[in-house]
Amino acid sequence: MTLVFHNLRKQYGSHVAIDDVSTVFQPGLIHGIIGPNGAGKSTLINMTAGSYLVSGGRISLDDRTLSGLKKYQIANSGVARTYQNIRLFDQMTVLENLEVCFYPTQVGQVWREILWPPFAAKRRINRRDVCMELLSFFGLQHYADAEAGSLPYGRQRMLEIARALVTNPRVLLLDEPAAGLNHHETTELTARLAELKSPDRIMIVVEHDMDLVMSVCDRIVVMHHGKLLFQGTPAEVQASSDVQLAYLGTANDIDDIKTAAKDRRAQLGIRARRRT
Amino acid sequence: MSSVDTSVQMRMRGGRLLSLLILATAVALIIVTPFLPNYYVRVANGLLIYILLGIGLNIVIGYAGLLDLGFVAFYAVGAYTYALLASPQFDLHLPFLLIVVIAAAVGAITGILLGLPVLKMRGDYLAIVTLGFGEIIRIVINNLDWLTGGPKGIARLDKASIAGIELARPTEIYWLLIVVVFAVAIFVWRMEKSILGKAWAAIREDQDAARGIGINTTNAKLAAFATSATIGSIAGVIFAASQRFVSPDSFALQESVLIVLMIVIGGIGNILGIVIGAAILILLPEVLREFAEWRILFLGLLMIVLIIVRPAGIVPRTFGPEKLIRGLFGK
Repeated sequence: MTLVFHNLRKQYGSHVAIDDVSTVFQPGLIHGIIGPNGAGKSTLINMTAGSYLVSGGRISLDDRTLSGLKKYQIANSGVARTYQNIRLFDQMTVLENLEVCFYPTQVGQVWREILWPPFAAKRRINRRDVCMELLSFFGLQHYADAEAGSLPYGRQRMLEIARALVTNPRVLLLDEPAAGLNHHETTELTARLAELKSPDRIMIVVEHDMDLVMSVCDRIVVMHHGKLLFQGTPAEVQASSDVQLAYLGTANDIDDIKTAAKDRRAQLGIRARRRT
Repeated sequence: MSSVDTSVQMRMRGGRLLSLLILATAVALIIVTPFLPNYYVRVANGLLIYILLGIGLNIVIGYAGLLDLGFVAFYAVGAYTYALLASPQFDLHLPFLLIVVIAAAVGAITGILLGLPVLKMRGDYLAIVTLGFGEIIRIVINNLDWLTGGPKGIARLDKASIAGIELARPTEIYWLLIVVVFAVAIFVWRMEKSILGKAWAAIREDQDAARGIGINTTNAKLAAFATSATIGSIAGVIFAASQRFVSPDSFALQESVLIVLMIVIGGIGNILGIVIGAAILILLPEVLREFAEWRILFLGLLMIVLIIVRPAGIVPRTFGPEKLIRGLFGK
């Protein structure tokens, strides 16, 4: 099971956002995608999840071509995602935010659920059990009946990841999961991500927090101006002069990269917090 | 800790009392109404039909979050289905229940036909298109003289009858409506609680994120349109059978607006709210009959006050039927 980008390309008019990116994502690993602002990291996530159309090339999961499918079809092929700006179902409860993910598998027998109360009760308990377990994993079990929109920002981030996991996806795409989180929350997130690693799951994290990326990722893809600049292990990335050049314009050590990334993260955090 | 416990207990006891009070009042009203003079029963019948319409439209507006201003079209479709199949117009006299089934099917199909072109629209654009759809249906009915009798309408419709029992007097129609309203309310409530209802809520909250978790929003929305239209159409059949006369005047734009107002004022997305909203908007004008032209002004003022004081409606979304039941059994 692999997720493959074949000569992927995304173009807006004459502007090329993603230029001929080819790479392979393996299960059992956490893949990081990093790069300066506007490098095309989120674009890659959005194309994989079907939020953006692919201008050229192909995305495939196993033997199945994902690019060109509708967004919900891609989701039902086992690709789940979170968003750079949190997108929960704000007025639904925390529990309902997760329960609704059963729609694709359960809608087929919805008539039975409506007309036959015992069946509905069984389903409700079933859904609840699965979702409560996930909520407990993220420390959200006490918020189950609260409105999702009323949660503190950090909890909303966690809830969004929990929602992506309900269907036990084969591919998990996380778009800046640490944006706007404080130090304590980031530590918690890092621990959860490491625990989520599974031989049946491809995890891809777009992130500006270098500490998180370097500690949790097994492989890192570095994007620059829409091109794939470098890929390798965290150690290889830190040692690469190309990467340093891309981030700072001059060859510098990794600490400066971290500082630059932190500034960006602080900006994002301010923006993200303002939303709530 | 103990003070917390007592406060919870007290709140629960309060909830129980409130639930009991609401249910007792409702049961009393339902039982007493048919013994009142015919005028009151007729008003109650009107109210029940509007409750039915409100429950139907609420699926699209309250659950799926799609502002539909042309709902009256489905009401008209149902009413005219009955008028054409049970009147001297074409000398067809099909049984009432058969017509209900036919009207439900025709309603569902019309709902899907309206739903298909507006799938990509939301908010204001959707409102304008559905508003246009409502008007189109009314104008078509007004002009298709050979079929619908045009502005004159169709008169001398058959009396409704089920299994040989005639349903024509106001009290008979009343009991028919009570049964239908309860059946539809329970059905729709169960729908809201089902996985489909949750998908509607997700679409309402964030359509794109709903697609992102694998919801085929096209199908879910069409299901909402179809169910809602079916209920509107059934309401139309009962309306036609109780009036035994239909004309395009009954299906003007203001009817659609009235139903939307019922939902917004009573409590959007909540069946109990619709009952309250309908009661206010249908009963108040009757009560205020003596003040003739002043009553519209009064209603307008009331609406402004309500929208300011309770922008989410009189009954909040969270106070649904399950709250009432849970309150009753103290759980």
